[in-house]
Amino acid sequence: MPTGDYDSKPSWADQVEEEGIDVEPLSPQIKKQDPASFVLDTPREVINGNIKTITEYKLNDKDKKIKIVRTFKIETLKASKVVAHRKNWKKFGNSEYDPPGPNVATTTVSDDVLMTFITNKEDLNNQEEEDPMNKLKGQKIVSCRICKGDHWTTRCPYKDTLGPMQKELAEQLGLSTADKEKAPGAEPEPAQAPVSKTGKYVPPSLRDGGSRRGESMQPNRRADDNATIRVTNLSEDTRETDLQELFRPFGSISRIYLAKDKTTGQSKGFAFISFHRREDAARAIAGVSGFGYDHLILNVEWAKPSTN
Amino acid sequence: MRPILLQGHERSITQIKYNRDGDLLFTVAKDPVVNVWYSVNGERLGTYNGHTGAVWCVDVDWETRHVLSGSADNSCRLWDCETGKQLALLQTNSAVRTCGFDFGGNIIMFSTDKQMGYQCFVSFIDLRDPSQIEDNEPYMKIPCSESKITSAVWGPLGENIIAGHENGELNHYSAKSGEIVNSIKEHSKQINDIQTSRDMTMFVTASKDCTSKLFDSTSLEHQKTFRTERPVNSAAVSPIYDHVVLGGGQEAMDVTTTSTRIGKFEARFFHVAFEEEFGRVKGHFGPINSLAFHPDGKSYSSGGEDGYVRIHYFDPQYFDFEFES
Repeated sequence: MPTGDYDSKPSWADQVEEEGIDVEPLSPQIKKQDPASFVLDTPREVINGNIKTITEYKLNDKDKKIKIVRTFKIETLKASKVVAHRKNWKKFGNSEYDPPGPNVATTTVSDDVLMTFITNKEDLNNQEEEDPMNKLKGQKIVSCRICKGDHWTTRCPYKDTLGPMQKELAEQLGLSTADKEKAPGAEPEPAQAPVSKTGKYVPPSLRDGGSRRGESMQPNRRADDNATIRVTNLSEDTRETDLQELFRPFGSISRIYLAKDKTTGQSKGFAFISFHRREDAARAIAGVSGFGYDHLILNVEWAKPSTN
Repeated sequence: MRPILLQGHERSITQIKYNRDGDLLFTVAKDPVVNVWYSVNGERLGTYNGHTGAVWCVDVDWETRHVLSGSADNSCRLWDCETGKQLALLQTNSAVRTCGFDFGGNIIMFSTDKQMGYQCFVSFIDLRDPSQIEDNEPYMKIPCSESKITSAVWGPLGENIIAGHENGELNHYSAKSGEIVNSIKEHSKQINDIQTSRDMTMFVTASKDCTSKLFDSTSLEHQKTFRTERPVNSAAVSPIYDHVVLGGGQEAMDVTTTSTRIGKFEARFFHVAFEEEFGRVKGHFGPINSLAFHPDGKSYSSGGEDGYVRIHYFDPQYFDFEFES
């Protein structure tokens, strides 16, 4: 609230004399008074200490009387005489008809903001954050599998020439690695021999010659493998006798293995049948493959050599 | 702190300036209105109406009697500060980019843009001589053929003006002879703003080359550099501390394609001696176009591309803060 109650002394020394002026801080609820409210109670202004309360009444859109209470804190600021004088200037231009105090149309109080102080440590962290990005720029994000170039594999210019060659190489390598895998299994004795010398207990299976047990069986099984066929898509009710009946016409059978569930004893749906002769097996494949058996179509093929 | 938001402009702010006592804040924008506000509570005192184009610059004299504004409507106007009446209209050939009163408030300076086939000129008019205003005949008119002036202020003692050019050059033009007394080129791009310290011994520039630099006012000697990642639109020196505040951000044309977070629209506070940033204040939705410290150093204001002016009164933390190098 501008006040002008200062003495105008002519002395130049008074130019710096401090004068009091009242300032009306903003209130978020300021509203213009409705001109139609003259019939209502006149606004009241109560000043209590440095708190000024203005109570006014007006009609709202639904012709209901509403009470508006605005509370101001009166701050008294000391200012130089010229500033106090300017505080009393009449408003002009677009603000000519504004009432005293800030107009909510042009002046509002914004949300609280804080100054964020930056310490040196934070500054360093910021730099570190930026560094990984720079590093990434230097790195190859995409690497070709064929020529290790900086592009996608499908876009490789050597795709047609290098690609197949590498596949062949990979196959050869795959074989050689398989051989390597087999090698330690074939002769584990040298590795285990020193263990037994330490005097610790060594289970029989790991002792010298432990893995040779049943070695005599191996050649036979290999011979069997050559004349073994695999039958799949068998029904659950299939028994070994059924298979014997089915395959006996093709030749003499040395072994029939029907995979069964351990608990229920039901067929798992596949079986291996070993013939004495390979020709018989071949005929069995030709004869039974695609044969409708117990509402299912059987699939018969050469059994692959077992991995163990 | 709770900033006071001033919504007196419909377009982006071009310049804001406090008067010498700091009780009034003058704001101009790319709309034709010049606003004046009480800085203490954000109440609008009035508007100076008359311009018909974007207003680029505003200045007020030492005693807060007259206000000068320069506009893209090819005019520079003198106003009575108290009543808002237009006292003088000075027609120019092209847009007025910068303007300023000297200490006495008797001599005014303004520079015009190089456009529409006209050269960039710095004009000096003595307001005590009515014929100069009536005939629209400045007592001195300095042509700048090379690069146009983008910012200018009066130097110490009113002997010369410090002008920043579009190519990053800084020139001292003598107010008496019109000669270039001193010239340096420390910036590589346009100088957007020049503001002097309270005692006018130093001035700080804000340049599009993402730096702000501090210079000696009399020798134009380069003192300090403050680096940011975005173009700097405005810089101001604190009257009480060794601080400068920088405002800027993404260029206005790129603003819509970036978020406020990465646009760096904060006001950034640097320590003058260490050239290091120590604080930031967020708030604007666009780049800050103009900054000003209150002459008592306890508050500052910023005007942005978003069209708002915000008056910030510092929290006690700011005054307690001690810079650790």
